Amino acid sequence: MRYIIGIGNYSMADDSIGLRIVEHIARNGLDRGFEAIDIADEGMRLLFYFNEDTEKIVLIDAVDFGLAGGELRLFKPQDVKTTKNTKRLTTHEGDILRVLEIARNLGYTIPPLTILGIQPVSLEPVMELSPPLQAKFDEYLKIALEEIWKDK
Amino acid sequence: MSQNISINVHHLTRVEGHGNIVVDVKNGKIEKMQWQVPEAPRFFEAMVRGRHYTEVARVTSRICGICSIGHTLASVKATENALGIQVTSQTFKLRSIIKHAENFDSHILHIYFLVAPDLFSVPSVFPLVPTHTEVVVRALRMKRLGHEWGSLLGGRTTHPNRVIPGGFAEYPTEEELKILRQRLINVQPDIDATVQTVLSVADKLPSFERPTEYMALSSDTEYALYDGRIQTVMPDGTKQRWPVADYKTCTNEYMVPQSTAKYTKNKMASYMAGALARFNNNYDLLNPEAKKLAETLKFKPLCFNPYMNSVAQLVEVVHSVKDTIRLLDEVLGAGCRPEELVKPTKFDRGQGAVEVPRGILFHEYGYDKNGMCTGGNCIIPTNQNHANIQLDLEALVPKLLAAHKDEKAIELGLEMLVRAYDPCISCSTHYLKVEFKR
Repeated sequence: MRYIIGIGNYSMADDSIGLRIVEHIARNGLDRGFEAIDIADEGMRLLFYFNEDTEKIVLIDAVDFGLAGGELRLFKPQDVKTTKNTKRLTTHEGDILRVLEIARNLGYTIPPLTILGIQPVSLEPVMELSPPLQAKFDEYLKIALEEIWKDK
Repeated sequence: MSQNISINVHHLTRVEGHGNIVVDVKNGKIEKMQWQVPEAPRFFEAMVRGRHYTEVARVTSRICGICSIGHTLASVKATENALGIQVTSQTFKLRSIIKHAENFDSHILHIYFLVAPDLFSVPSVFPLVPTHTEVVVRALRMKRLGHEWGSLLGGRTTHPNRVIPGGFAEYPTEEELKILRQRLINVQPDIDATVQTVLSVADKLPSFERPTEYMALSSDTEYALYDGRIQTVMPDGTKQRWPVADYKTCTNEYMVPQSTAKYTKNKMASYMAGALARFNNNYDLLNPEAKKLAETLKFKPLCFNPYMNSVAQLVEVVHSVKDTIRLLDEVLGAGCRPEELVKPTKFDRGQGAVEVPRGILFHEYGYDKNGMCTGGNCIIPTNQNHANIQLDLEALVPKLLAAHKDEKAIELGLEMLVRAYDPCISCSTHYLKVEFKR
């Protein structure tokens, strides 16, 4: 099984980009050959998809790379290191890299995982994406679908 | 007493979102003691205005990523109430099952990942991974069950799309329900092990007590989670009930300078909502196995120790598993089959309430003759608990000072108290901040 998984808080502007792409996929029946999963703001749920029959996961998340707002990068978790102050973070607040660290320490087999990271403009409590992310929504969607369907 | 204490916990950890604890003690005198919630309002009530009744729950389910099932159910119930829809017995039971799934999932998260680190004297769950691997693996196994239990009924756990006004959009098959039933039977060893884990650290739970008013849904026939009337139990054990339509006169929202979130009160200066409030109100209607666990833990109503909210959650974990098996037997016994959606008979105002993991949740909407929403209102349980948390902290600090606890021990005691309520403040984000390795 292949999965596109969105994580974030739907009501915190661009933090919701992954959830909105997954919602769009599900609502328009684009989830052909994969499942579109919304794990909201609970990163530990990602571990439920680390199964033997998981071929591939594309995870969509807001990522602060220090780039211009709306820019995107496709990368593997091992390509990056976190620069977030994680000293006091816990599973309820941490980022997905901490979840992967837990998975490795618990002996989970991590399936091929690509992160579609999108540079947020706003992380304010509003129920919509910022204009730069809205403008590029179709591009994000296309890249996510191409990535999940690759090598199928 | 000449103690000087200055505690400023900015963004308390192991809660969802941002809350601060500020304490100033000069020469043993408390000059400041505040639970602050600096979250911005999100205006969900305005967002539903002008939307068709079939769309409203989809918007309000986004109020919370952890309690989205509960928000969906409260929203759909309020809409059905406004539209004169009486759902079928099968719908009532299937919705009760999905409600149990949410409470089970959230309680396991809270007990294992948010409270247990305090009891094992570590800052988070991460240090437990190498030292208590089996405990963490068990927690994840149980959470996965909760996740898939909810997904089976809701279509997806977060933001369920099958629960709609009038019934369900899609139904699980009988075969799927039978598999769920078997999985709920198979989880018993994990529940037993959870009880043993909790018993092994139970003496670390502080013994602080502060009698208060406890509010929960209540019913004559079941331990109310999906449906019931509003009830409070006072410290002397007297109970009073109100119809859900009277929720505003029971919650009496008000503003305080230290918080952007609204506070609430009923008959006393504050009340508590959540698992302990349900336990104190509805103990007699717990499943016998859940009651047996409470007896083993020497835990009985009325309990005035807010730290015991986590223990009440464990009792509810057992209740949810056993009660779901009972409900599944009834649904399968009658034959689970797709039903037509019940149609609206009017367009008016309506209220709905359910018990989400953190307590009683109210939704209300009005609809015009075309089924378009004219306005809404939501009162969430975390906000209902803020005043009670504040008063608990005010009562706790003098006790900790009198016991000559140092600043670090006081800070931990206060943090544990707030975490016991499992507050879910909406402004959390989980974005990554990274740089590429060279």
